[in-house]
Amino acid sequence: MFKFIKQYAETINHVNIYPMISLAIFLLFFIVLLVFVKKISKDKIEELSNIPFEDDLLNKTKL
Amino acid sequence: MQLEKFYYDNRIVKNFTYATILWGCVGMLAGLWIALQLVFPSLNITQYGSFGRLRPLHTNAVIFAFVGNGIFMGVYYSLQRLCKARMFSDTLSRIHFWGWQLIIVAAAITLPLGLTSGKEYAELEWPIDIAITIIWVIFGWNMFGTIIKRREKHLYVAIWFYIATFVTVAVLHLVNSFELPVTLFKSYSWYSGVQDALVQWWYGHNAVAFFLTTPYLGLMYYFLPKAANRPVYSYKLSIIHFWALIFLYIWAGPHHLLYTALPNWAQSLGVVFSLMLIFPSWGGMINGLLTLRGAWDRVRDDVILKFMVVAITAYGMATFEGPMLSLKTVSAISHYTDWIVAHVHVGALGWNGMLTFGIIYWLIPRIFKTELYSKKLANQHFWLGTLGIIFYAVPMYWAGFTQSAMWKQFTDAGQLKYTFLETVTYMKPFYAMRSLGGSLYLIGALIMVYNIIKTVKKGSLVADEAAEAAPLLKDYTPHATEHWHRKIERKPVQLMVFSIIVILIGGAVEMIPTFLIKSNVPTISSVKPYTPLELEGRDIYVREGCYVCHSQMIRPFRSETERYGEYSKAGEFVYDHPFQWGSKRTGPDLAREGTGNLKKSDSWHFRHFRDPASMSEGSIMPAYPALLENDLNISNTKAKIKAMRTLGVPYAKDYENYALQELVTQSKSISINLKIDGIQVSPKKEVIALIAYMQRLGKDISLNNQK
Repeated sequence: MFKFIKQYAETINHVNIYPMISLAIFLLFFIVLLVFVKKISKDKIEELSNIPFEDDLLNKTKL
Repeated sequence: MQLEKFYYDNRIVKNFTYATILWGCVGMLAGLWIALQLVFPSLNITQYGSFGRLRPLHTNAVIFAFVGNGIFMGVYYSLQRLCKARMFSDTLSRIHFWGWQLIIVAAAITLPLGLTSGKEYAELEWPIDIAITIIWVIFGWNMFGTIIKRREKHLYVAIWFYIATFVTVAVLHLVNSFELPVTLFKSYSWYSGVQDALVQWWYGHNAVAFFLTTPYLGLMYYFLPKAANRPVYSYKLSIIHFWALIFLYIWAGPHHLLYTALPNWAQSLGVVFSLMLIFPSWGGMINGLLTLRGAWDRVRDDVILKFMVVAITAYGMATFEGPMLSLKTVSAISHYTDWIVAHVHVGALGWNGMLTFGIIYWLIPRIFKTELYSKKLANQHFWLGTLGIIFYAVPMYWAGFTQSAMWKQFTDAGQLKYTFLETVTYMKPFYAMRSLGGSLYLIGALIMVYNIIKTVKKGSLVADEAAEAAPLLKDYTPHATEHWHRKIERKPVQLMVFSIIVILIGGAVEMIPTFLIKSNVPTISSVKPYTPLELEGRDIYVREGCYVCHSQMIRPFRSETERYGEYSKAGEFVYDHPFQWGSKRTGPDLAREGTGNLKKSDSWHFRHFRDPASMSEGSIMPAYPALLENDLNISNTKAKIKAMRTLGVPYAKDYENYALQELVTQSKSISINLKIDGIQVSPKKEVIALIAYMQRLGKDISLNNQK
């Protein structure tokens, strides 16, 4: 099936490096995520977290 | 701006709610029944009602029927409101609803008939797998259609969880269901042995993650703030919770395979990521519980909040326990025991069950424009449910610890202290207590049924609930300094693509090397394909769900090698489509059943299948008299050999043409063996094939003193 790729993958000598790479990928991902979340403004967060309640407000004004 | 008037579809929410309640009761009843079967083996009535066939029915009913409908109930209610739009298409909603119910009915029919692919939580055969794919796509189509025509610019965090659920379940289902059909209701897994195990537990673990957890977290982020009438504690935390959770979860699968023949690096990877999972999981739990800050007094009176608090607490307990269980030292004790059963039930009964009940009590009065019929009954349900969980979990934890200790105990002379059977009979009182816990939980659910029926009668369904909202401006120009995440969260398709990338990283890193690098599965020259009779016997083993109670994977511990023989090697399973390592030892491991000290005569197996207790006093294994009555179906043997060859099993060219001849010869020799021991049975019976398979187990490797 994957003969083409297989040829190359079989030549990977140090497959044990995978866990280290994985950890690095995750840490990087997580740090970037933390930095960006930190940068969101307070007002925006307030607005976003109130989305579930907008529905009630609309219905109340309608009644 | 001109407000647009539109209507929320409550009828579809009502339908999914009813289905959730119905299938919930069915699934719990099946669970209670099989729990009782372990105490009273005579409750294994006919071959259609034996434990091995009903246990998959229970797990499938609870996961895909109860929780599945629960997901759709919550998603169809909350998505419309969060998007300020009616569902994209009523027709798609209806097809989704009825399609899903048909799949459940098909499962409820085929599983007792023994039509199974033999992979846990993915037992349904290929035609049903295809139906699941179609219905799932329809669900996604309907969901994305709704999101695209929404009147709210931002996608609330609950919707991200729904999107991640949709894409990941699709990927999991497609990859794990890769199978080669032999007949209309029989297929073989495309993968074999170690690879099949890795794919299966990548699927199995992520079914827990993306079917039982992420959609319910989405529901938590919507319904908890609604019920508590205050926004979620920290929206920032919810963003971190989401991305960290979906990124980490996908890697954790191999922790189900610690100390097995899976390559070591993959096991380590699974452990590391399972441990890290505790952070996003607890972040989510804390976010849920702190949403109630300043409102804890209301928890005392509000039964809905009570249900939700217990649910979130159970989520916290299960997600603390999960990473602990994935430590190799803890797994060495807990794996194969009832500890795991306790763990999953804290999740299923506590997290999924209690959150579902809370949502139902909140939702039904709203769509029926009335009050709940009886708060008192709901309170009784709450207490029965909570006590039920405790009465279920405590005996099972106790049973698990005891079991493990007994399996591993040696005498001063260095011999195993207990036979396996002694450990089984010791478990019976715990199994009985567990049934009591399950009964309490079920009675609570039945009280809810009554309460909901009364509530529904009191009110009337607002099938189309009027609402108004301003349309979304098409020519919205983003602010120059806009935050990157806000761009993504406005765009559902990008969010989906990004989620897919995030989940694929983990799956790819784990699987590609296992599939492509030969040194991960060292071949053993003495391991040969099954004979046609053994292959047929193996299919009976799969059909009867023997893997539900018997493992075929000996871990490299002295307590296991003393009891079962040489530990299992990856190369032994290369012709196993599907793998049958199992995950629980209600009965002993069978990997070397045909060799060494474990080898029994053909007549022992015959008598044991006829009446297990006659050979092993106190055994709780079901009797299989039907195997002695039914003739072996050999009409597909040829096709099976061919299918196996397609999958890479090295049967000689044209082997299928004389396979049947070999099958007859081998069955005759077993029937002669039986005759010598005074048992008259036709060589055509199913039991002969199963005996042939039993005698084959472990034989490959015992023939040559492998290194």
